[in-house]
Amino acid sequence: MLFEQRARIPVEQRSYGKYYLIFSAILFLGTMWSVWDEVSVRRPWKDYQRRYHDLLLQRLDSVRAEVHAQIDSTAAAELVAELQKAKEALSSEEYLNALEQKTDLQKDLDIATREWRFARSRSDATYYAYKKAVAEGKDASSLRKELDGHDADIAHYAAEMETLNAKIAEVDVILNRYTGVVDSLQAAYNKMMAEVNALDLKIQRASSAPVQIRQVMLNDFEFTPFNEIKARIDRCQTCHLGWADPLMEDAPQPFTKHPVPELLAKHNPETFGCTPCHRGQGPALTAGFAHGDADHYWETPLLRGVDVYATCNTCHSNELVLKHAKPFTKAKQLIFESGCFGCHEVKGYADVPKIGPPLNDLTGKTSPEWIYRWVKNPKDYNPHTRMPDFKLTDEEAEAITAYLVKISGESTYRPLRSRGAYAGGSAQLGKRLFESVGCQACHTLGDEQTVRLARGTSYDIAPELTRVGSKVSPDWLFDWLKNPRHYNPEARMPSLRLTDDEARHLVAYLMGQKDTRSLPPVNLALQDEAKIQRGDRLIREYGCTGCHSIKGMENEGKVSVALSDFGRKKYEQMDYGDTKELPKTAKEDYIEHEDGTVSVKHTWAGWVWGKLKNARLYQTERIAQKMPVFSFNDEEIALIRMFLISMTRDVPLPAYQHPYDKRMQNIEAGRRLTMRYNCVQCHTLEEGGGYLVAKYEEAALGPPPLPESQGAKVQEQWLHAFLKSPTTIRPWLEVRMPTFNLTDEEIGIITKYFLGLSRQELSLRDYSSFAIDEKYLAPGKRLFEVYQCAKCHPTGNVRPGEVSASDLAPNLVMAANRLKPEWIKDWMLDPSKLQPGTRMPTFFYEGKGPDETVFGGDAHEQIKALQTYIWSLGARRRNVIAQGN
Amino acid sequence: MMKLLGVILATACLGGTLFAGDVTGKVSFNGTAPKPNRLRMNADPVCMKAHKDPVVSEEVVVNKNGTLKNVLVYVKDAKGGAAPKGKVVLDQIGCIYVPHVLGIQVGQELEILNSDPTLHNVHSLSKANPSFNQAMPMKGMKLTKKFDKVETFKVKCEVHPWMSAYIGIFNHPYFAVTGDDGSFTLKGVPAGEYTVEAWHEKYGTQTTKVKVDATGKATADFTFTGK
Repeated sequence: MLFEQRARIPVEQRSYGKYYLIFSAILFLGTMWSVWDEVSVRRPWKDYQRRYHDLLLQRLDSVRAEVHAQIDSTAAAELVAELQKAKEALSSEEYLNALEQKTDLQKDLDIATREWRFARSRSDATYYAYKKAVAEGKDASSLRKELDGHDADIAHYAAEMETLNAKIAEVDVILNRYTGVVDSLQAAYNKMMAEVNALDLKIQRASSAPVQIRQVMLNDFEFTPFNEIKARIDRCQTCHLGWADPLMEDAPQPFTKHPVPELLAKHNPETFGCTPCHRGQGPALTAGFAHGDADHYWETPLLRGVDVYATCNTCHSNELVLKHAKPFTKAKQLIFESGCFGCHEVKGYADVPKIGPPLNDLTGKTSPEWIYRWVKNPKDYNPHTRMPDFKLTDEEAEAITAYLVKISGESTYRPLRSRGAYAGGSAQLGKRLFESVGCQACHTLGDEQTVRLARGTSYDIAPELTRVGSKVSPDWLFDWLKNPRHYNPEARMPSLRLTDDEARHLVAYLMGQKDTRSLPPVNLALQDEAKIQRGDRLIREYGCTGCHSIKGMENEGKVSVALSDFGRKKYEQMDYGDTKELPKTAKEDYIEHEDGTVSVKHTWAGWVWGKLKNARLYQTERIAQKMPVFSFNDEEIALIRMFLISMTRDVPLPAYQHPYDKRMQNIEAGRRLTMRYNCVQCHTLEEGGGYLVAKYEEAALGPPPLPESQGAKVQEQWLHAFLKSPTTIRPWLEVRMPTFNLTDEEIGIITKYFLGLSRQELSLRDYSSFAIDEKYLAPGKRLFEVYQCAKCHPTGNVRPGEVSASDLAPNLVMAANRLKPEWIKDWMLDPSKLQPGTRMPTFFYEGKGPDETVFGGDAHEQIKALQTYIWSLGARRRNVIAQGN
Repeated sequence: MMKLLGVILATACLGGTLFAGDVTGKVSFNGTAPKPNRLRMNADPVCMKAHKDPVVSEEVVVNKNGTLKNVLVYVKDAKGGAAPKGKVVLDQIGCIYVPHVLGIQVGQELEILNSDPTLHNVHSLSKANPSFNQAMPMKGMKLTKKFDKVETFKVKCEVHPWMSAYIGIFNHPYFAVTGDDGSFTLKGVPAGEYTVEAWHEKYGTQTTKVKVDATGKATADFTFTGK
């Protein structure tokens, strides 16, 4: 209708006004919308920033109110009143007069000073003319006169200046009387209000903070996949604004304070950004894209939970311990102890020795039946063994046993003592020894689980001995206990320097620990050559040599895939076998169904979880798998998966890395050695380990910790001798420091490790020539008596078995041969600082010693005196010995 | 209006202090008292000389009336009260800590005395508060300590391993230690319902509910059973 009507109007006369209006309106609204969308909707960070500033102001206000409330308000009011009064006094007649007087005097002084300068200039000019005239032989007397006149002027004005200055000083005394009061009151008031004022400044800054993108740019940070250097841009702090503010400890995300400020001290987000550790899409400005969840094509989404520690490994792959990244340290330990590197190439574990024992002399130790049962299912004999389950068939287990028995037949190992030499021990005494000398640091037996619980791992570091009596032969055990290196030259089991009788008692005790289950008998045909051949093939195929050295297989390589870039593998590249798919958002990672099928998430993380839970999970009829089944608990799986996330080749350029210098290399070598020999089972080292200590009622009765200052504590020569052949330092300890038969090279590594932790260099030093200052000797002796050091520290020969209070601390005769002199001083100043929990008390507080008659109580002088005396105890003995010889 | 509000507030405050009372009670002991351990002080002649009669351990002291000594009783869920000005003294005399168990408020001064002419070290096994281990080698030495956190911990002397004391730290003044008659009084507890806890170094803790009402009196009795 409308259009028909309109069609009748001639074209020239038709009005387009309405259309124009409508389209203009649409265009206008569209423009408005796009501006709104661009400025606000697509910039949610603006809203975050406003909300953050509101929150910050709110919290600052409440803190300010709290701080303000703590100020004594009457005292503050009094101060303000006094200040007011003092300021009012500034308008008193005396002050104003004095001020006026000073202004006048100052003016006069300025004039006098100017005139004095002019006089000097005139004098200089005339002096030149005078000297010139003298030099040219002309008459200079008039010039001389003029010069004298100028000099008189100078003196005149100088005197005037002096008088004026004196007058000004007089007036200043009056002025200062007034202003001094004001200044001191103002200072007192400022001091009282300092905290409030600082908060006011913060409040002012927060209320005027601009809404803007906060960006960190890391130039030349990394390589692109095409080997070009590229920068990294982080804008995370545009929304995550409160990471450094203690007020934001419990604030909601994205404003929460960073939970581990210690890490930020070394990786400052203002210069290092956030994505190098947390990953995500740095330049993005909306949560979904920045975290990578909403961007399907972003390859490195945000790491959540424990996974964030994975990125530590990009730069710290050489290190086993990171002080402030405990999950990283634990994951590294797990990989180290589980021996993943036996079959897989793993970055950072290139030269770690095999974790299992050699298998060349097995029949010297145990029976073929035991070997068969063990190979078939290790967890059956020892549920906490590190040996995984290869799910072998009976026939495969028999073949492998056949091979191992065959090579044992070629072995030359025989116990050193004649058959039956072990006999005659008392099981009861053996038990007592087992529980006291330190066996339990590594081995569990029966219900005693202290160390296993303290370690918190799903596996033990040494065999559980609950059924050992059914495993080993007593002759072998006796030989092994006396010297483990005889059976296995690379044994990690140390010698505890047992006497023959002690070893016999232990054999009696341990051989009594029988496997009480009734096991079905096995019939093994081990002489069959075909079977031996098959065993040979199976051992190579399954990669047993990854953990064990086996005769005839010295040159086997790693049997499985390299993991060095595993973290970048795509989920599409993985095979999920017959598993069902769990939704990505599911809480569980692994569900076993009643029909035997399993559901996992079909993602990278889900695949890894399933694989670590059950290495044969993705096996199908067509696809066989060789990886054995481990028994990691869920916490361990999460840690290993975190470690695997780090397996990429993305490494920042050296400028962004912590230098792996000589000191770090020394420390790292020491960590590997001490982990290999399980030193940390007994000793606390770098805040870890010391598991055995949990067994003792009091920490001082267990093995001593090795604090970071250990390298600064003991003399290198002493440490070398001690590690070669340990001697008793703490007679009250039942647990013994074992003899590890360390090589000189290994002792060198440990020495440099301790020195590195203490930030000391290895240097050649003759401690015996440490000079004693005779002046300090007598006061030292006196203090030693007054402070009753001998109440705990013996200072000479102690009769064995003698009960006295001086069973509590090391004999100080050892000091001069064992300790570094500087350390003795540090130790006495504050023992608990160097060794938390020590029994040694502090004698010196606030720079004073208790006895004020010696050196006026000065702590440093007294400590020097005590150090001198203690040093003399051992030095004297050394001299005596030298003379005696 | 403001005036009225002020009056109401004032009454409320006064009421708060007015409606307060004492919680009293007794800590009984059931069963046979363990034979007290004799302390062997031969390691230090000074300690030996200080006592004419044999000294026994204070770990379990059952009074003549069948009650238990050295039990620390306190209101568990109370709060408030600034630290009093007075100090609490822990003495070392005859190589024994006196008292064996004591309570103290957060911020209050604890004075540790050495009345023996021998070396003592005072080693606190505190966890929430910073642990200290200080030597007192001379007779008459004094140490002053203050604590910030609520906890109960042991104090010991390594030189004389038999020495031990326990210190309870509270953020309110409602605590007491049972003496020779096994009774205790928690004074001036504001009206309300509370959990009262009794702590003993060997027998652990026991709790009971009490209600301090307008009459301002409440009782809480405990019984520990020997094993």
